[in-house]
Amino acid sequence: MVDRGDPIIQVKNLYKIYRVGESRVHALDGVDFTVYKGEFCAIVGPSGSGKSTLLNMLAGLEKPSKGQIVIDHIHIENLSENQLVEFRRKRVGFIFQSYNLLQTMNALENVALPLSFRGVGKRKRNEIAARYLKLVGLEKQMKHMANAMSGGQQQRVGIARALAVNPKIIFADEPTGNLDSKTTLEILRLMQRVVREQNQTLVMVTHDNNLASYADRQFHIVDGKITKIVEKEDADRALAGASADGVTVGGTLDVKMEEPEEAMPAAQTASEQNMEAEGERE
Amino acid sequence: MRFLDLLGMSVSNLKRRKMRTFLTVLGVIIGTASVVIMVSLGIGLNGLMMEQYSSYGNMTMITIYSNAYYSGEADESSFLTDDTIEQISALDHVSSVSPMLRADVVMKQGAYYCSTNITGVTREYLETIPLGQGELAAANDDTLKFYYGNQVIRWFSNEKTGESYWDKGEAMPVDFMGKPMFVIFDTNSYWQTRGGSTEASVKPPKKYMIETGGVVEGTETDYNNYSYEIYCDVELLKQQLKAVFKKNPIPNQPTNSKGKPYPYFIYEQIMVFADDMENVTTLQQQLTDMGYQTNSQMEWVEQAQQTYGMVQLVLGGIGAVSLFVAAIGIANTMMMSIYERTKEIGVIKVLGCDMRNIRNMFLMESGFIGFMGGVVGLCISYGVGYAMNHFLALGKMMMGVDGDISRIPFWLAGGAIIFAILVGMLAGFFPSLRAMHLSPLAAIRNE
Repeated sequence: MVDRGDPIIQVKNLYKIYRVGESRVHALDGVDFTVYKGEFCAIVGPSGSGKSTLLNMLAGLEKPSKGQIVIDHIHIENLSENQLVEFRRKRVGFIFQSYNLLQTMNALENVALPLSFRGVGKRKRNEIAARYLKLVGLEKQMKHMANAMSGGQQQRVGIARALAVNPKIIFADEPTGNLDSKTTLEILRLMQRVVREQNQTLVMVTHDNNLASYADRQFHIVDGKITKIVEKEDADRALAGASADGVTVGGTLDVKMEEPEEAMPAAQTASEQNMEAEGERE
Repeated sequence: MRFLDLLGMSVSNLKRRKMRTFLTVLGVIIGTASVVIMVSLGIGLNGLMMEQYSSYGNMTMITIYSNAYYSGEADESSFLTDDTIEQISALDHVSSVSPMLRADVVMKQGAYYCSTNITGVTREYLETIPLGQGELAAANDDTLKFYYGNQVIRWFSNEKTGESYWDKGEAMPVDFMGKPMFVIFDTNSYWQTRGGSTEASVKPPKKYMIETGGVVEGTETDYNNYSYEIYCDVELLKQQLKAVFKKNPIPNQPTNSKGKPYPYFIYEQIMVFADDMENVTTLQQQLTDMGYQTNSQMEWVEQAQQTYGMVQLVLGGIGAVSLFVAAIGIANTMMMSIYERTKEIGVIKVLGCDMRNIRNMFLMESGFIGFMGGVVGLCISYGVGYAMNHFLALGKMMMGVDGDISRIPFWLAGGAIIFAILVGMLAGFFPSLRAMHLSPLAAIRNE
């Protein structure tokens, strides 16, 4: 394997077991993987595969039953709730599916919010926030209230908010799940570009193989186990000759990857795909 | 997180639900106002009572008197003398001691005369007398000067016509400051010669012209502590009496069993001033234990104060009930607000907001509700108090004394606001703990 630089996330033998009545459900069943600095990784899996549980544990929102998670040389499985909050404050950015902007604040204030948790002064944090809003192409909407913006714009604010604290790692939980396909592409490309430019590490969770193909590496997870790791080169090879249209690409990829339970007919239109995604959430 | 950022977030959260915030604050307003008004009434009643008592006499004063003075029994040990004063001055909490040396005199100015007595006191005591006219003589001035109470003028009558204040309804035209006053110290001889006695041995007494030092402030009908007395310096009075009577017994002074005067002055009373009102009772007890007969305003005041303390407690309790209800309102509001913001709290927790900051944010919110309610409630209390004092004149109605019945001293005003904030924070404490421990997973869940 090629030298990828510093490992930023190391997951070793990770288990999460829920007790449901008499039976025990293995949400995660011995997961091992490593993410390196500057990578854009995707965790892909159908709903119920344990991908969200994995993300929650990586971000320190849930405790693993067994195993180790080392992020930036810190074993987060042993941290207390308070320490986890501090860990997130200092090292983690988070992008949500439903954006989760604070409705009482405008775009600038929302981006500046995590900085205020770090005790950065108002002038300084607004300056930083403005810079990142510009980066995501919202220089004209800085004073807009969160609920006066479109979904795409809100998610751009969300991305700027995650970047603003200059975290070691950014987690994104179905970041495009609430967006239409056109905006989805925009957001994905934005994330891809920004991660590269800022040399950030991004871990994105999605159920959509198509979206995952934008990542440098994809971890496919089924029933709590990683079944396959796909490198960008493979995906690019798959892309060769295909048009730039996301849907067509996604379709091609799915077929190539031979995952019948996840694969979508290539002919499916973008809007249908989006609707289905929405249906699944409900 | 910086304090101002926290405060800003709290306030903007309150602004989000203006009506609910307003209603919660309204509860605190009513609660604070009722506590402040009730306590201010208690303070007012107490104050009116104290004013009433202090108009009867100095509150820190303890009067010591001896029976021996009046009965004339020759029990030397019970006499109040300079030695006694020295002894008492050495006690703790005594700020000053003044004897009261009484001497009978007859005063004359033109056709007007008056038979009364004068009181010799220390210079320290003289200094406390509020003079309306004239001023206290310099400390090194050794001429005897009289300081007249403002009602003394009413006792003068016309020697020839027998006219007096009591049948004319107005004071005789005696001029203390402008005209000389003639004073007869040997009153026994005076009355004997006046009574048409033919005894040749009795010579008409000598008249002394005594300067007037000043007159106590107030008109002839105003009452205060010093209205009825004619004061002078006790040492100068002693010199004067010695000069007048020489070896002869001085009237008002006890004599021994052989009818001879003692070689020292014996005082009718001694006034002891405590350094503070709070020490009067202990000091008085101490003096009583030493065998003196004592008397002070505090005896009465303490009883009354106990009564008013109870009244104050009951009034404050009534007010506190409404503040308690307001506190429940705050707690309810905070709980609602936290339920509403479960997701938001989760989000800021995911974004790394410190748990203590989350708790403090909610504590500040509830504290701010308390603060606003406290400030507005205090303003309303001032308004209501002003109305009670000025438009209803309740003080006059209830106590028969002019004065404010509702009094809001600084400590009450400051205390009320701090208390309201504390009540708010206390009511918000458990809700804020709840907010602190909300799971951040709520933020991730997609509805």
